[in-house]
Amino acid sequence: MSKSYLEAGETHCAIGHPKSVFWQWMLTVDHKRIGLMYAAVIFTFFFVAVFVALTMRIELFAPGAQILDGDTFNQAFTLHGVIMVFLFIIPGVPAVFGNIVMPLMIGAKDVSFPRLNWFTFWLYIFGALIALSSLWTGEGFADTGWTFYAPYSLNTNTNVVTTLVAAFVLGMASILTGLNFLVTIHRLRAPGMDFFKMPLFVWGIYATAWIQLLATPVVGITLILAILEKVFGIGIFDPSKGGDPVLFEHLFWIYSHPAVYLMILPAFGIMSEIIPVFSRREIFGYRTIALSSASIAGIGYLVWGHHLFTSGMSDLAKTVFSFLTFFVAIPTGIKFYDWVATMYKGQIHMNAPMLWALGTMVTFVIGGLTGVTIAMVGADIHLQDTYYSVAHFHYAMLGGVVFLLFAGLHYWFPLMFGRIYSEKHAKRAFYFNFIGFNMLWFPMFIAGYQGMPRRYFDYLPEFQIYHQISFFGALVFITGLIYMFTVLISAIKKGEKVGSNHWNATTLEWHLPTSPPPLENHSKVPYVDFRPYEYHHGEPVVKFNLETMQRID
Amino acid sequence: MSHEYVPEIATDRNGKKHEVQGWQGDTYGGKLGFWLFMLTEIMMFGALFLTLTYYYSLHHQDFIEASSHLNRLLGGTNTVVLLVSALTMGLGLLKMRAGDVKGAKLMIYATIILAFIFLGIKAVEWTEEYNHGVFLGLDALQSGNEHSRPFGQILFYGMYFTMTGLHGVHIIIGIGLMVWLLKRINAGKVTTEHNILHFNIALYWDLVHLIWVFVFPYYYMIGAGHGH
Amino acid sequence: MDINTYKAQRAGYYKVLGGLLLLTAITFIQPHMFLQNATFGVQLMIGAVKAWLIVMYYMHMKGETLIGWTVVFAMTLVAFFFIVVMVDVDHFQNMEGSHITSQPHIEVDYGHHTASHEE
Repeated sequence: MSKSYLEAGETHCAIGHPKSVFWQWMLTVDHKRIGLMYAAVIFTFFFVAVFVALTMRIELFAPGAQILDGDTFNQAFTLHGVIMVFLFIIPGVPAVFGNIVMPLMIGAKDVSFPRLNWFTFWLYIFGALIALSSLWTGEGFADTGWTFYAPYSLNTNTNVVTTLVAAFVLGMASILTGLNFLVTIHRLRAPGMDFFKMPLFVWGIYATAWIQLLATPVVGITLILAILEKVFGIGIFDPSKGGDPVLFEHLFWIYSHPAVYLMILPAFGIMSEIIPVFSRREIFGYRTIALSSASIAGIGYLVWGHHLFTSGMSDLAKTVFSFLTFFVAIPTGIKFYDWVATMYKGQIHMNAPMLWALGTMVTFVIGGLTGVTIAMVGADIHLQDTYYSVAHFHYAMLGGVVFLLFAGLHYWFPLMFGRIYSEKHAKRAFYFNFIGFNMLWFPMFIAGYQGMPRRYFDYLPEFQIYHQISFFGALVFITGLIYMFTVLISAIKKGEKVGSNHWNATTLEWHLPTSPPPLENHSKVPYVDFRPYEYHHGEPVVKFNLETMQRID
Repeated sequence: MSHEYVPEIATDRNGKKHEVQGWQGDTYGGKLGFWLFMLTEIMMFGALFLTLTYYYSLHHQDFIEASSHLNRLLGGTNTVVLLVSALTMGLGLLKMRAGDVKGAKLMIYATIILAFIFLGIKAVEWTEEYNHGVFLGLDALQSGNEHSRPFGQILFYGMYFTMTGLHGVHIIIGIGLMVWLLKRINAGKVTTEHNILHFNIALYWDLVHLIWVFVFPYYYMIGAGHGH
Repeated sequence: MDINTYKAQRAGYYKVLGGLLLLTAITFIQPHMFLQNATFGVQLMIGAVKAWLIVMYYMHMKGETLIGWTVVFAMTLVAFFFIVVMVDVDHFQNMEGSHITSQPHIEVDYGHHTASHEE
């Protein structure tokens, strides 16, 4: 008799057969448990970074210094960025849902290298601890911004080297996750499931894994070079030795731009899962969405120069990068049209996951279109490094990636815990979040357009009104976040119990014999001779006997 | 292995049976995974070569001048040492697959010895450079003092020590991997039938050699015809 | 594997060794004997041939499809980064009016500048 993965005992551990529940979790190689542990840790870091941001918003409520001085403010936005980018959003969807859901979706028993998966989780924790340790040592946390631009990062006495080391370790964790997922998707798909029968979330994770694997090493070596520069003075980013700080920017953004696609592609995968289920229809344009994920991953490597428009590049390079940046928006646009087409003439069920997905469509479109604005070199000259950029990437990363991460939490909650949260409260929390988010970030487009620079501790009085509106938006948004997490966390123990296919969906993760899933995943690996989103008159076509995993439709 | 892995069978609607690929016993998966890891090394060293090329194009003459001062005898010897070690590693794998476990282990020992020779020669080279005042942290590679070299030479040597240093780290890691491989062979975990670990470590060693194949001419040979 | 396969593969390894040693010898002779004004290109070309031999035969790439394509993909990316950055340098850093120097300038001229940067 299979126990659920939450209670199952001493099996599937990296080292030995521990008897205590604590060590069974610390040493577990099971992908579902590892995914849950990632979730607990990354959301903790998320809230830390949110409160750092709130502190900055309080400081920025009025011009002049209120509760922080300039140097501390610089450390605050660096801390916020480092946590949000390296500890939260890059591991983000792959570490949580890639681990928990992806193997279930392809009918696998685990990932290809479960012990590597276990090691990778602890490598991530190690990197996070290194980063956070620098808060309390030496001159305190780095004050360079999460982008560590030379030459300031070379000259400042704050703990830049520690943060660079941490980022390197975290990068290694990201690479190993990508490697594990790539081999898993190539090797462990259920018999009959070729690439074009995989759910679109798996396509998203696949495309992401390629970026994790090939782009991260470039920033890895860049960070090592920066460390060597600081420690040994090798000269390559130091102008006083003939080095070129713009080269640092090239190398840094060669990773960091593909990194944003690494963030959004799994999130779009979540959208592609939610829309068909809550429209009760097969997704429109499956193949196009799948190939658009692959092409975003590919083209995304080619556009990094748009971060350097004002730094020192030839006009030729600026033109080429601007063109390619416009070009990469096309596959994303195609996805949006396909999702809307899926909803057309579907039976829309406005449950919490769907509400989050639709909200994201609004916020991500704003984020994406404002990105296209600053892809124009002429516009970017004025808008680069203003609040316009800040609003753009928060609309895209927070209003895109994180909102879809939240959508995924609401969608896969019954899978992970075998219970459901209060629909009413979940929806209310969504509205707090959505309204607060827009109140917080939208004024920044205007402020930036009027010239408010980013990362500035002080500002001219004409910008104050925008900061004040943003501050109140932040309060509403944080209330929404706390509300949402309270609703979800309380449902883990007290939510109403539900079966293993609460949403009556089609993909394989919903065809498990118990709810929550057994440690061993599917009772038997099914033979997949069906498409992932087959609905007929709103009902799933494919039905299984959950003990034998034979089709009974 | 304490429990033998038996692959699961999936049956389709026509009753036809299909073997399920599990994560255990997936030799091709192990190979694919290791190749993917090596792609990350290509990206890393690729970025390093890009940096090197960038500065070479900005400081052409200084680079050639600095290159001409490197010790081609020592560097060249190392090239041949590494080349032969790639052969010994490959022969070791071949012998393992042919059933000659003892011969395979001998080849691994030979590779380890050659790796140490490589490191030794590298140490001699670096010491020589240090004695000429050219080393990280010394005056010649700082700017603004009386011993300062021109920018291009500072950058050349900065990258030289970085890249040969990182390469050396990879050699040390390789030695560690080979020692571990010997232990696994002795424990009976790497055998004539199941030797994906041996295969992957041989691949790793070939990668280490591959990097040197480009490092050597780029640093040592570009200034070779300029009489030093 | 049987003894004949073993001998055939071993012979193959030695042939590749021979090729690599020969190419290494050429590497040493070239700067003094031929194409001296193209040393950089020739050296890296020889390196590329050696690399191809190593990847195909020592690393058993001959006969792998998926893995071969992943290597091609990675190398294409690296090639793209090279081309873009080097073309950019050519059109920017190496143009007229660029300030690439080989020594630091020590200018002492505080009189005519409005703002100076304090460390």
